[in-house]
Amino acid sequence: MKGHKNLIGKLYKPRDNVVGYLMLAPWLIGFLFMWLAPAVTSMYYSFTDFNLLNTPKLIGFDNYIRIFTTDKTFIQALKVTFIYVLVLVPLRLAFALFIAVLLNKKHRCLGLYRTFYYIPSIIGGSIAVSVVWKQIFGNKGVIMSLLEVFGIHQQTSLLGNPKTALSVIIIMGIWQFGSSMLIFLSALKQIPGSLYESAMVDGAKPAKIFFRITMPMLTPMIFFNLILQIINGFRVFTESYIITNGGPLDSTLSYVLYLYRRAFTYFDMGYSCAMAWILVAIIAVFTVILFKTQKSWVYYESGEN
Amino acid sequence: MAFSTVGCDSANAESSSESGSASLADSSSGDGEPVTLKITWWGSQSRHDYTQKLLDLYTETHPNIKFEASPAGWDGYFDKLSTQTASGSMPDIVQMDYLYITTYAQNNSIADLKPFINDGTLDVSSVGANILNTGEINGKMAGMVLTTSLLAFGYNPDVLTKAGVNMPTSEWTWDDYISMNKTIKEKAGIADSASIDPLYDTNLFNYWVRQHGEKLFSDDNKSLGYQDDKLCADYLKMWKDLMDTDIVPNPDEFAQIQTLGLEAGPVVTGDAAFVQNWNNYATLVAKSNDKIKIVTPPMATDSDAKGLWLKPGMFFSVAETSEHKKEAAEFINWFVNSEEANDIIMAERGTPVSSKIREHMVSSGKMTQQQKDMFQYVNEAAKLCGETPPPDPIGMSEVNKVFKDVGSSVFYGQATPEEAAASFREQTNAMLARSN
Repeated sequence: MKGHKNLIGKLYKPRDNVVGYLMLAPWLIGFLFMWLAPAVTSMYYSFTDFNLLNTPKLIGFDNYIRIFTTDKTFIQALKVTFIYVLVLVPLRLAFALFIAVLLNKKHRCLGLYRTFYYIPSIIGGSIAVSVVWKQIFGNKGVIMSLLEVFGIHQQTSLLGNPKTALSVIIIMGIWQFGSSMLIFLSALKQIPGSLYESAMVDGAKPAKIFFRITMPMLTPMIFFNLILQIINGFRVFTESYIITNGGPLDSTLSYVLYLYRRAFTYFDMGYSCAMAWILVAIIAVFTVILFKTQKSWVYYESGEN
Repeated sequence: MAFSTVGCDSANAESSSESGSASLADSSSGDGEPVTLKITWWGSQSRHDYTQKLLDLYTETHPNIKFEASPAGWDGYFDKLSTQTASGSMPDIVQMDYLYITTYAQNNSIADLKPFINDGTLDVSSVGANILNTGEINGKMAGMVLTTSLLAFGYNPDVLTKAGVNMPTSEWTWDDYISMNKTIKEKAGIADSASIDPLYDTNLFNYWVRQHGEKLFSDDNKSLGYQDDKLCADYLKMWKDLMDTDIVPNPDEFAQIQTLGLEAGPVVTGDAAFVQNWNNYATLVAKSNDKIKIVTPPMATDSDAKGLWLKPGMFFSVAETSEHKKEAAEFINWFVNSEEANDIIMAERGTPVSSKIREHMVSSGKMTQQQKDMFQYVNEAAKLCGETPPPDPIGMSEVNKVFKDVGSSVFYGQATPEEAAASFREQTNAMLARSN
């Protein structure tokens, strides 16, 4: 062991590290000033009474206590966001996988199809599409006018009804399945053809092939997509901000929208920062749980497990 | 070479102006040193256009003053302002609303204008003391009030005529209002003829509370001012009934109406009869429909307390961080007191606070019928005006949100008016006690 250390000491002189750090600098600077500093500051703010304009005043855990004991809107935002994530993520992944399997064939216009299916993911989270969505599902929108033509008169639109508004937002989320689809598609291409060939020789049916070969081989990518999409899902903002502004009756009030409103409409920055850290904790818990369950269902071809 | 020099110079200029704020603020503007004033306001496109004209005119007569304007719509205006303020880059001159002025003043983000009033830079001799003092918070003049505004109902006379309904007068009551709308629905076949969102903010509810002889907030702003929740429940019940009978649009329909904008709203286009707005409403929509009239909001049937109040329309505040407070105050003075400026403004921001300017405008003969109506309205409404309430408590936007939520729960049939009224009290009191 000791000899090892000496050897390393001989081979690498401290000044050699300069180049390394220089190469690292762009990332390091970004990390320190764009990530670490704001994160630490927001952690500090979360323990203060800070309204953006005053000097922050330390108040210990008051913000956190208020969030968990008195804030009904927080519970509502949490509920909405959990429903959103728990419904959206499985559906989006299932849909992405379905389309990926369809596209995983030799076909002349395959590139074209892939592009088409990916487009919603690029533009889907944008403000313009949210506005269009509002025009389709909102009051006097496309859907409502169409139903009117067929003689069905509605008092409220799908977006104006507290019972259905969140579903519209979720459908819009599912529609943005493109990036998961691309990941699945590339993973599908990686599955060795020999596996399929031997299964066919053994006379396995397509459904069996899919569930016994394709799915297990895809589990690493499903795992990866799951984590990515859950994190993204908890951060949903644009859709509920632009389309419904959290309404009606807070039925689409996403966690981040409420956090934003706390900070910039109610001038409650300390409180808002506390909320941000609670969200970090929630996402961390989900991620840890997923990693813990990984052993039991994710199959790594090259790994020892 | 040339590029790098320019780059260095501008960088130096910036850093020196930041560090030397104290010395610059002290120096008077008389020396003609070039000054750039940043100014921001909210409003419609026509306001943006003429305000830019005003700024250009001011630069013509004061060549050393240049402006950097950031006009905006109402939505998001205060979100942006709070972020700018937090980062220390609040524009020098800020159009400010009654809703937020207390918050900004208490955090010392806006400068005290009293020194400029005292040294004569800002002439307030023709501004009524009551309305002027709405800008005074904790002994500091946090904003120069520009206009007065009064709650008003706008109406489309053509729609009323079509249904054979008489025009409303300042003596009309809520009962009249309801029966008029019923007639309009039956005779003219116009549903949702009262294009009003009773939960848009708490102004209309405030009027309702006041006309029943009560106050919306207690004197210390720590709780609601009225004692009986029946007052709130009655208000919600009245509007709920009107929604159920298709006289008032439901929240979903109103959200759609709002996307049309003021100038294409249903009252302007003849698809509705009444709208609740402010006394500059007819002026604002005159370009689209010049027949629109305004009338005082309906009286209570069972009480004759004075519900209206003279509300400061908007303020100009000066940033505490501004290095050119004096120049900013000079511009505000010109905006409020000069005839040439007000000939351009033409009362678009509301009734000017200066009595001299009001006289000038009436005598100039340039005013449109809507503007005459607006000025006339102030006189008519005076009979119905009670005391001006103190500035909104801190957290007013959250009070508005709570009111919207509890009200919506009634309109969506998820709570009774009584439950909603109790919930409004509980939530609002908790919030006000904490933040005021």
